[in-house]
Amino acid sequence: MYVKAIPENCSGCMVCEMVCSLKHWNLINRYKAGIRIEKKSVIEDLPHICTHGNECNFECISACKFDAMKKENGIVYVDYEKCTGCKACEKACPLNAVWIHEKKAYKCDLCKGDPACVKFCSQNALVLEV
Amino acid sequence: MEMYGYAGKILTVDLTTGEGIKKVLDEKLASRYLGGDGFGAYFLNKVVNPKIDAFSPDNAIIVAPGLFVGTFVHTAGKTAFFSKSALNNGWNESVMGGRIGLALKQAGYDALIIKGKANKLSYLLIRDGEVSLKSAEHLKGETTRKTAEEIKKDEGDVVVATIGIAGEKLVRFASVDCDERQAGRGGIGAIMGSKNLKAIAIEGKNDIRVAKPEKLYKLMEEWYEKMITHPSFEADGKYGTGEFLEWMNAERGTFPTRNWNEGVFDERKEIDPYYWAPRYAIKNKACVQCVKPCGKAFVAKDIKLDGVEYETLFALGSNCGVANIEHVARANELCDLYGMDTISTGGVIGFIMDLFENGVVSKEEIGMEIKFGDGEAMLELIEKIAHREGIGDILAEGVKKAAEKIGKNATKYAVHVRGMEPPAYDVRGIKGMALAFMTSPRGACHLRSGAYALELTGKFWKFDGVDRLSSKNKGREIAEMENFMAVYDALGVCKFSRGIFLLNFEEILDAVTGRAYKEDELLIIGERICNLKHIFNIKAGWTKEDCKLPEKIHKPIPKGVSKGSYVSEEEEKEMLEDYFNARGWDKNGIPKKEKLKELGIEDMM
Ligand code: SF4
Ligand code: SF4
Repeated sequence: MYVKAIPENCSGCMVCEMVCSLKHWNLINRYKAGIRIEKKSVIEDLPHICTHGNECNFECISACKFDAMKKENGIVYVDYEKCTGCKACEKACPLNAVWIHEKKAYKCDLCKGDPACVKFCSQNALVLEV
Repeated sequence: MEMYGYAGKILTVDLTTGEGIKKVLDEKLASRYLGGDGFGAYFLNKVVNPKIDAFSPDNAIIVAPGLFVGTFVHTAGKTAFFSKSALNNGWNESVMGGRIGLALKQAGYDALIIKGKANKLSYLLIRDGEVSLKSAEHLKGETTRKTAEEIKKDEGDVVVATIGIAGEKLVRFASVDCDERQAGRGGIGAIMGSKNLKAIAIEGKNDIRVAKPEKLYKLMEEWYEKMITHPSFEADGKYGTGEFLEWMNAERGTFPTRNWNEGVFDERKEIDPYYWAPRYAIKNKACVQCVKPCGKAFVAKDIKLDGVEYETLFALGSNCGVANIEHVARANELCDLYGMDTISTGGVIGFIMDLFENGVVSKEEIGMEIKFGDGEAMLELIEKIAHREGIGDILAEGVKKAAEKIGKNATKYAVHVRGMEPPAYDVRGIKGMALAFMTSPRGACHLRSGAYALELTGKFWKFDGVDRLSSKNKGREIAEMENFMAVYDALGVCKFSRGIFLLNFEEILDAVTGRAYKEDELLIIGERICNLKHIFNIKAGWTKEDCKLPEKIHKPIPKGVSKGSYVSEEEEKEMLEDYFNARGWDKNGIPKKEKLKELGIEDMM
């Protein structure tokens, strides 16, 4: 299961970033979200989000020396007890879908199977693939 | 105590010295003005002497995100810019949907006040909450698009608000661009240019905290449902703001055409989004935080832009008689790249076309032929205006000043109220909007009252049975709509959501700030804001004589369903008096002491 991004539909509203941080951390801050929108040009808005192995080989897990990047039921998530913010995962991810902010890694954890970003993406630019 | 929904500080930057001063946001001030428009109204009155010239270094630019910016409240990502107007030297504000206010808030500030003048072309950088002034000499003359790209290359993950060449050249209707969205009106871009300020770049990474996050999430689930099932979701999504263009022509006959000579544009086929959206729009484009986008990614051969918006389809389309959508779109893109308001640009070009066709100016005098409908000539003129070359130098002054410079009987053809070129509502057949053009604090404007939908459909909010062709009972209507809309601009909510939210913000405000403001409290805040802007104008020298409607509005619409309708000078006077009355102002439009006391702003007059 993963959230598939369809950039051709993305309006660049960044609502997904906002709701992700709100749901996970009770605050709004795109730097603490598990999805990021790259505003590449006036006609290109690119959502970056983890595919949980669908378009990668779990490079983040292999790269992490602190056993902080975990996988359970097909969901790759950060163990914040262990994450040191060393940036190894950020560098390793081929999809640019993990980011370090204030010494912590942030990435999509699929909201335990009910992703908020998909719910609030009004443009069908994010769809849940099962 | 933490102020939920706010960053908690105000930043003042002096470009002359390069220094920044941080002040704690006063809690009482926040509850009296909310944010955005409210903070602009308060601070511009506090920091700018209304008597100075707009291009004086002592003029200030205020950037203020609405209270809901960065809080996930739907369609509430709007940031307002404030300054003395380059067009009429009075109050000016312009609202945009770029991320500059969001970045400012995440950088720790609820408002940014910029004063002084840099000694050379510079950009202001705010990083980790600290201020620095950097040289922008290498960006001189660059487009808004290129400038933003270059600054991002140098500074990394920043949000950039920038001017183009038009701002540098002090074109009086120069805009500010952020994320290819614009604060278009009243020449904020020219004020930036006068301060040698090419751009503002902000890196903001702080958390935005709300009082009741779970409640907010739940509320937004409910409002999301209402938004995406509302008819405007599909209409805006498919065709953008120009969706009702055909209706404005065929059903209302109030689509200003050829410099306001007509109210119906017969050649409109291609500029109607029902025609062009399926052919040129590849996807929707949104303001930040918007779940109900109205923008379009428009792509043609050499054209790419976020547009074309309703007002632009009028200004650079019907008002210039231009029917070719690729010409209109390219003109739109040029305005965005050079940083010019599309409404005023179309206003001045339609004006010179009118003068040319009526023989007031000759080819020899202006250096070119410029007839209605000539798209190529329109594009050429845009270049000339942005660079202030030839006739462009005169048109860059705006319709009012240009008419005075040209002399002869040019003022007869000049369509403006208080120096501002009007938007796409032929008010001869929408009389409440004629009043709104007169009373808007920035000059001819549809957004301070947002009353066009009410007038054109006859009902909205508490109003019903409104007759657009009558001038009766318009005073209270426009005053109350202005108060209503000021609340929207203070909260940063998009006006295209007004039919969905109305003023049902009590629960949302409770979730965001912890204080549940009721509708009547909000309306008093709105009224306070409107009065403060008016006070600024009065101090700047405003008199009721300035509000005059253009001559063309006193002549009947020649054809279409509104044929024969016009606003007489009598009606103009009556409506204004009615409005002053409704506002609690005297017969000259000066707020009475009791009114100011009631609003708690007697010390501001
Ligand atoms: S919510 Fe959807 S449309 Fe908006 S930025 Fe995210 S992916 Fe794009
Ligand atoms: S974060 Fe990147 S590397 Fe890790 S699972 Fe997701 S896509 Fe793969």
